Amino acid sequence: MAVMVDTNITSNSSLSRAREAPSGNVSDALVRFRHRWIPTHIVGELLSKSWIDNIVPAVILALIVIIFGSIVPNFFLPANVSDGTRQIGEFGFVVIGMMIVVVGGGIDLSVGSNFALGNLLALALTNMYDMPVAVVFIAVVATCSFIGLINGVLVGVFKLRAFLTTLVMLIGLRALVDSLLLVYALDISAGFYDNAIWDFAGAGDVFGIPISFVLFVVAAILMHIVISRTRLGWHIMAVGGSRRSAHNAGIAVRWTVCLTYVLSGAFCGISAFFYAARLGNGGSYPGVGLEVFALTAVIVGGISLGGGRGSVAKAVIGAMIVQIINLGVVQLGLQSGAGQLVLGLILLAAIGFDVRWVKNRDKILSRVYMSPTYFALPASPVTEAGSGSPFAANDRLGKVEVHGLGQLDGPEDVIFDSAGNLYCGDRLGNIMRLEGPDYKDASVFTHIGGHPLGMAIDREDNIVVCVGGMGLYRVRQDASVEKLTDETNRSLFSIIDDSRLRLTDDCDIAPDGRVFFSEATTRFDMASWPSDALESRPSGRIVCYDPNKKTTRTVARNLTFPNGITLSHNAQSILFAESWACRISRYWFEGPKAGTIEHVIENLPGYPDNINRASDGSYWLALMGMRSPALDLALRMPGFRRRMSQEVSIDEWLYPNINTGCILRFNEKGDVLESLWDKTGANHPMITSMREHKGRLYIGGIFNNRIGSVALDGADKNWTGPSSYWGRT
Amino acid sequence: MSGLLARLFSRREAATVPSMDGVLRPNTLLDQASPLVALPEPDNLVQFGSNLAFSSGNDVLVLVPDSPAGSPPELFRRFESRVTALAVSSQSVLAVGLDGKGIGLIGGAYDGLALDQIGGVPAKGPTALAFADADTLIVCIGSAQNGPDEWQRDLMEMRATGSVWKVDLRSKAATMLASGLAFPNGVLIRGNRVVVSESWRHRLLGLDLAAVKAVPDIILEDLPGYPGRLSEGRDGGAWLAVFAPRSQLIEFALRERAYCLRMLREIPKEYWIAPTLRSGRSFREPMQGGAVRVHGIYKPWAPTRSYGLAVQLDTDLLPVRSFHSRADGSRHGIVSICEWQDRVVFASRGDDLLCTLPLDPHSPRDAAR
Repeated sequence: MAVMVDTNITSNSSLSRAREAPSGNVSDALVRFRHRWIPTHIVGELLSKSWIDNIVPAVILALIVIIFGSIVPNFFLPANVSDGTRQIGEFGFVVIGMMIVVVGGGIDLSVGSNFALGNLLALALTNMYDMPVAVVFIAVVATCSFIGLINGVLVGVFKLRAFLTTLVMLIGLRALVDSLLLVYALDISAGFYDNAIWDFAGAGDVFGIPISFVLFVVAAILMHIVISRTRLGWHIMAVGGSRRSAHNAGIAVRWTVCLTYVLSGAFCGISAFFYAARLGNGGSYPGVGLEVFALTAVIVGGISLGGGRGSVAKAVIGAMIVQIINLGVVQLGLQSGAGQLVLGLILLAAIGFDVRWVKNRDKILSRVYMSPTYFALPASPVTEAGSGSPFAANDRLGKVEVHGLGQLDGPEDVIFDSAGNLYCGDRLGNIMRLEGPDYKDASVFTHIGGHPLGMAIDREDNIVVCVGGMGLYRVRQDASVEKLTDETNRSLFSIIDDSRLRLTDDCDIAPDGRVFFSEATTRFDMASWPSDALESRPSGRIVCYDPNKKTTRTVARNLTFPNGITLSHNAQSILFAESWACRISRYWFEGPKAGTIEHVIENLPGYPDNINRASDGSYWLALMGMRSPALDLALRMPGFRRRMSQEVSIDEWLYPNINTGCILRFNEKGDVLESLWDKTGANHPMITSMREHKGRLYIGGIFNNRIGSVALDGADKNWTGPSSYWGRT
Repeated sequence: MSGLLARLFSRREAATVPSMDGVLRPNTLLDQASPLVALPEPDNLVQFGSNLAFSSGNDVLVLVPDSPAGSPPELFRRFESRVTALAVSSQSVLAVGLDGKGIGLIGGAYDGLALDQIGGVPAKGPTALAFADADTLIVCIGSAQNGPDEWQRDLMEMRATGSVWKVDLRSKAATMLASGLAFPNGVLIRGNRVVVSESWRHRLLGLDLAAVKAVPDIILEDLPGYPGRLSEGRDGGAWLAVFAPRSQLIEFALRERAYCLRMLREIPKEYWIAPTLRSGRSFREPMQGGAVRVHGIYKPWAPTRSYGLAVQLDTDLLPVRSFHSRADGSRHGIVSICEWQDRVVFASRGDDLLCTLPLDPHSPRDAAR
């Protein structure tokens, strides 16, 4: 049974590492302390969230409540609060409508007049014609939507300027309303409409909360779901963000724009309905200046006038800010016009801030996201040729036989099925197949996408493959591809959404069919692995996919770039490599130590990648690159690495030296038995994987364009991977 | 507050280096040069009569004209320490700079003269020598702290303690022409002017032979590498050996004093983040992102700590032509250049080789056009 493993292992080992660190002076200890206990990487993760934009308007809202609450007498009086929230509800509908138009890249100045028309219509239908409330509601909303449709057709379909079109609509409708008022004002004010529902809409409460505000909250939640979770919402955002790109993506730009104006009109109608029910005001001032207030609310809420950026939450906050200022100014008894002045100033500040924020947010994010941590490795083991160390450099890979040269592009892992065919992934997202016995030519077996990395063969001879950027996939012998999983359970306290798998790296299969696979990092995408190397932060994890229950669970987290994974020979544990930590660990999933992690090899001279079984009961391990003293020192100086990431272009960064790799063999206890090197680097400068098959070792490299093979002295000539795992030959 | 912001957002400018462009546009001419002699650490090429003299470790060797290709050079003299600089006077007097010893003269009126002190301080290792006339020797002392072989340490310690001296051989009296220089590493006499390459400030300076100048002229600046030895060329031109490239990472490391000092203290020299005459020999050396081998190919434009660059200068000491061995090339660390017969000879100390190209029949000016 897979059990969740906590961070204890990692922290314990970092203590032990610190003790062994070669120069543990006082300033080193300070740096270590600061990087262990002050999690600065959270700043970057917070800034990367889209909701972080809401912080500023939310703070402004809180400030305004505090300021007006302290200077306006009776600000928090229940009657005042109730009246205020009722008005916020009405106003909020208009703001949501305006928000949708603005996010779609337009502007709707006609809301004020449209609102006045709706108000007039509602009063006429009730006071003069005594219509049922439902009919009134539908008629008002339909009429206002129709006005919106005219706007939408003109702006969206005929591509007229939004500003001018809706300005004309503002003036024209206002004139219409005024001339209608001349005729009907007397009749409206003379009539009387006695209806309980109508009164409830105007003054009713639900659990003490005004009905219009309740409905506003419901509408806000609904619209939030529409904008952020539905096709229509995404289309509106896409059109507002970039019309051309949206068009190229196949979105019907014109009708999407048109629809935003219809929605805006509809929300105007709803708002007007409640307003009419509350006040029954047949005068000429309802809705005057409403477009200015709505626009102010949208902008103060942080919604970009440029389109494509905004949310309902922002609109709600903006609406509350504007309405509270309006009411507060009235309650203060300031002269009319003072409210507009205050709003104008706030609007100016908000626009200024919005411009700066949009311009600088990504810059700040790119500066602060990378957050290297303190990481001390003991001095590297000796690798000099002839030193007698098991790591001593040699040229045993100097005379490899080369397979598929120039036909392959990035074979990170290599594997054999039980028929003896050789498979590997490539950078283009293909699974390549080389047929035995000489494995001369490669052909495309199937296409998945992403970059297929680590592979395993299951009991039915299918290939289970980790695809970088996509997830865990299975390729059947008939070359059909199916997705096994691409998400796991979201961590409770993780700020970034870690449910989606970003960099699945290597996998292996337990006898019961469970697939254990590594995700190297949850903080970066595959192409940004150098950033993760520079951070050396434990942000990777091991995930288990259970094909019987079809579940995916994270079984161990806070690992430092977990990379290669292999099932131990007794099938009770998995061995995995933590690349930047230069160590091999073991995760027990069965037996008495189930659920625990122990370290098998620490302080390797290079960065371990894939691990695979060897025929004699030991394991092969690829070192993709070697440690350099300059980088080892930099790992103890996080500030150096952070500034380097900011001041030096990425091609000039200090990298792990991945131009020289080697292959090691180690036993169950973690003793390194031998090493194989390509001294000149002619064929295998960097090695990410190797697989033993019938007495030969086959070698892959993620930046290479070939697979190499070399004969192994004294190896079992009949041993194959599938026979070792599944007992088949 | 601004300090805090600066720390938080790192308001320091990005580490940048001038690009190799215009006359300095990369080519592979040095890699096309034909090998002349392969031997360890060749340096200090000078024309010695009709012969070509140069140093290799403690030895001074000579090549005679028209000797068959591949024939080994003759040993001229072996010294007890490494030869750091050579110069030949119009009377064929050879001045030899010796590491840790001083300067010795061979031949002519001053045969056997030894200068172990200059201006009252021990002349530990001159980086460059030149005769202003038969009796006057110009001496560059790269650094007061570090000898010529410790040039990487001198750079990473950001020293500027080099000096240029005029020594009257008759009286052994020395006059300081300039001090506080960041590793003067090459010298050329131009009439009344002494041209000095100041390595760590990537520029060529003009000093006055007759008087001590408070502020030297800047002849050439913002070079993309570290300028070293200067030598005479045909038609009043000159040659400049740029022995190592500048790089963003090294410029950045130089700013990071805490890192730099720990690196000098804790890490062996060959693994420093520092320019070098030859890089990529060991997997323990620092590697940069762009240098990752892809499909087995090491990119010529990869960031590198060593490079081969020789620059031909015109009579005004402006670059007219350049000869390169790029990151993937095999003629790195050009420390010395000399015209000899109808050829130009380059000493690639990084790759232990003398190589040669025929001189362009046109003058440098014409070649530029």
